Amino acid sequence: MEILDYDIVIIGSGIAGMSAAIHASKSSKKGTKIAILSKLHAMRSHSVAAEGGISGVLYPGQNDDSYDLHAFDTVKGSDYLADQDAVELLVKNAPKEIRFFEHIGVPWTREENGDILFRAFGGMSVKRTAFAADKTGFFMMRALYDYLIGTEGIKVFHEYYITELLLDKTRVAGLYGFDMSTGERILFRTKACIIATGGYARVFGFTTTSYSSTGDGIALAYRAGLPLKDMEFIQFHPTALAPSGILITEAARGEGGYLRNSKGERFMKDYAKSKMELAPRDIVSRAIITEINKGNGLVQKGSEMAYVDLDLRHLGKEKLDFRLPMIREITIKSIGLDPAEEPIPVRPAAHFTMGGIHTDINGRIMQNGLREHMHGLFAAGECACVSVHGSNRLGSNSLSQCAVWGRLVGMEAAKIASSSNHVPLTKLKEMGYDADECLNKFIGKDGEYSPYHIRDKLQNVMEEHMYVFRTQKGMKQALKEIKNLKKEACNMRIEDKGRLFNTNLRDALEIRNLIDLSEVATSGAIKRKESRGAHSVVEHKERNDKEWMKHTIAVISRQGPKFEYIPVKITKWKPQPRMY
Amino acid sequence: MRASFLVAPMYVAMIGVPVLMILYVISYAFAPLICYYVLLPLIVLGLFIFGVTGFFEVYASTSTRSPLLKMESDSISEFKDVKLAEKHEIPIDLVVTRFNNHTKKLEKQTYKSGASRFTTVLDMLLNAKSEGDQTLSFRYSCRMGICGSCGMVINGKPMLACEANSINNVIEGKIEVGPMEAHPLLKDLVTDFDEFFNKHISIKPELYRNDKKEQYAAQHEYQQKQSQIEEFLPYSYCIMCGLCMDACPVVNTNKDFIGPQPLSQAYRYYKDSRDELGKKRIESIDTLDGIWGCEFAGACSKVCPKGVDPATAIQLLKNEAIKGDIKKE
Repeated sequence: MEILDYDIVIIGSGIAGMSAAIHASKSSKKGTKIAILSKLHAMRSHSVAAEGGISGVLYPGQNDDSYDLHAFDTVKGSDYLADQDAVELLVKNAPKEIRFFEHIGVPWTREENGDILFRAFGGMSVKRTAFAADKTGFFMMRALYDYLIGTEGIKVFHEYYITELLLDKTRVAGLYGFDMSTGERILFRTKACIIATGGYARVFGFTTTSYSSTGDGIALAYRAGLPLKDMEFIQFHPTALAPSGILITEAARGEGGYLRNSKGERFMKDYAKSKMELAPRDIVSRAIITEINKGNGLVQKGSEMAYVDLDLRHLGKEKLDFRLPMIREITIKSIGLDPAEEPIPVRPAAHFTMGGIHTDINGRIMQNGLREHMHGLFAAGECACVSVHGSNRLGSNSLSQCAVWGRLVGMEAAKIASSSNHVPLTKLKEMGYDADECLNKFIGKDGEYSPYHIRDKLQNVMEEHMYVFRTQKGMKQALKEIKNLKKEACNMRIEDKGRLFNTNLRDALEIRNLIDLSEVATSGAIKRKESRGAHSVVEHKERNDKEWMKHTIAVISRQGPKFEYIPVKITKWKPQPRMY
Repeated sequence: MRASFLVAPMYVAMIGVPVLMILYVISYAFAPLICYYVLLPLIVLGLFIFGVTGFFEVYASTSTRSPLLKMESDSISEFKDVKLAEKHEIPIDLVVTRFNNHTKKLEKQTYKSGASRFTTVLDMLLNAKSEGDQTLSFRYSCRMGICGSCGMVINGKPMLACEANSINNVIEGKIEVGPMEAHPLLKDLVTDFDEFFNKHISIKPELYRNDKKEQYAAQHEYQQKQSQIEEFLPYSYCIMCGLCMDACPVVNTNKDFIGPQPLSQAYRYYKDSRDELGKKRIESIDTLDGIWGCEFAGACSKVCPKGVDPATAIQLLKNEAIKGDIKKE
């Protein structure tokens, strides 16, 4: 077991993780050692799949836009569950990030005169989403990676998988994991640690996310005894391509695309008259499923999947090639359909997980509920719940969130690293040996259940009971089945016993994470007896501010997650009925 | 836009100059004066015309072309020609060439599988792993052709497994899949990317500004016209999948050659109007293992799944390097 000393270790190399590394390096003194770990090659994290754009009010006062309006849209979109102080921080810092990415090479799409151009997005009152065609996340990732490798003091560890977060009471001690390419076990000792590992939408099979979006960092924190927040809120993106679930960006509707049912009607007029197709995602997803349930959907030949049409034909080939080239490329390559000639078959798919590790507004991971934060432990990006998205995220707010909190925690971590010491080596080694033994036991499993079958069953359960509309009975059934799967997971069969690039072991570890997170999400959803944002319960159709305007906090225990609740922070915007 | 009116003079010059040269050699013995005063100027004129028209041919064919348009002519039409499976699922043998890391040998293994009209080669590999052989290793992540993980050789052609429709790629009831052998092999279809990433880093692939502090502080945005963006945009679609390196005949024979991916990225930053490194960016790759290692086989551009054209980028870099030399003198 190799032991490596670093001042700051970052797990996850998406936009949040790489931003954190860069800003940590820039704001700390020379010689500070920073490591960034990725279970993939660092530039391949799921952030590359972000398409539509990044929100931010670049020119307040112009175009009838202001920070307050952006904040209000976000709060209203969140169905009033977002912490409003965090939202205000987001909107104030987002423009800076757009400029920063411009300065490191992102080819933003521009106006004739060279200014950055904005496009309309769901739930946003005005155009304030900057974009680079429909590959915004990809361009941001490439620019970040290229800038990162030229930044001093950062070592990139490609393909390292972390299995344990090692804590010394209320502070971080280190991380334990293995190098995928050799199988070598590694113990990282660090003064500060940033978790930026993304969301857990892979608990669903029909999802827009990468195979890698398995919420590893959230599960690490959960198993280490740290609190998770609002895990029941999972966003379903209205327009995922049938049958694969590949994302068809909301920008397709932002540029003027229509949703049509089998009768050819733009059915959104019945659900969100003023915003139509550009209502927030939870509303559009519910509308689509309602139409399908009413019998107004279509059925795809070959997959037998029910869908509605996303019609982009009227935009014309030229606009599609300029503004949405990837959408055209994807539909042509994956289902042989040209959106300039035919409507795209779409249906809602799991897309973003609003919940995550419970942090304060500065991205510091909390010890519990409202009490103190941990020393030197941070989370940023989708894996963190600040909470800035509440119960439903607005499109294009995620890239700004990742960039804003990536910078923030990077700078905070630099401060901690300069003023703290490592934990004693003997102490860390002890923890490392325990973690090593755990991993050996896990690999040694010769049980009867294939991890892949467990995953398939889990995804089926989640899709059946935890999708766009949920019922009490269904959710209870789901929890029962998840608990059974958890038992089966203790009796898994990992056939690959080799050390070198053992993806079988990685998959099994990911599946264990997915099960834990599904359990937390489902238990929290059963408890929340209201419909708010993405959490829509058939028995409790209304939002209930009196009893449920609060964040769910879940902590691990032997019997499963234990819950407590903390209040939502309200600054300027009092809850109102949410009409579009 | 292609400057088609230049094609005719180019061909005339191309054929005319050798003819004039032969005439020169034959007639030199008995009519040296005609050679000096008629043939020689004509040869020089022909060479000049060939140079000018040839340059515009190469240059005009590379500017601001949307990668998608290129795809349309290759992969898209290919897809549309295929008769989609009439039956729900057709049986396919997936023949995987695996690298055994113990014996250090390549071994073939066949997985019985099936595909519907939507199945990709990546889907078939995932199915083989979860239903047949858990020990099979390969990289994958986004399954939408943007992360660059699943580059491999399918039926002898380097491509992304997630973009390869299975039915489109069946040959006599089977699909052959193997690792990219230009990269060192690790296990099964997984190859070692360290060297590749180091080569990428070696060309300093970052937007270079003289005022680093201003760049980091990013107070005011730089202006950039759409026409300026289009100078480098076609080269910025690189997903670092490594397929072009695998296809390149020079990379396969000379491990020191930097290769198409890093060189195309050098061109991408060189052409960015925001970049201030200028000619210095080219000096470091103006070497035999840099741009001059390229023999213009063009395989890199042919296999690129994102329509990047490294081959042209490298020729344009050569052109810039020569221009630079003239200025220095």
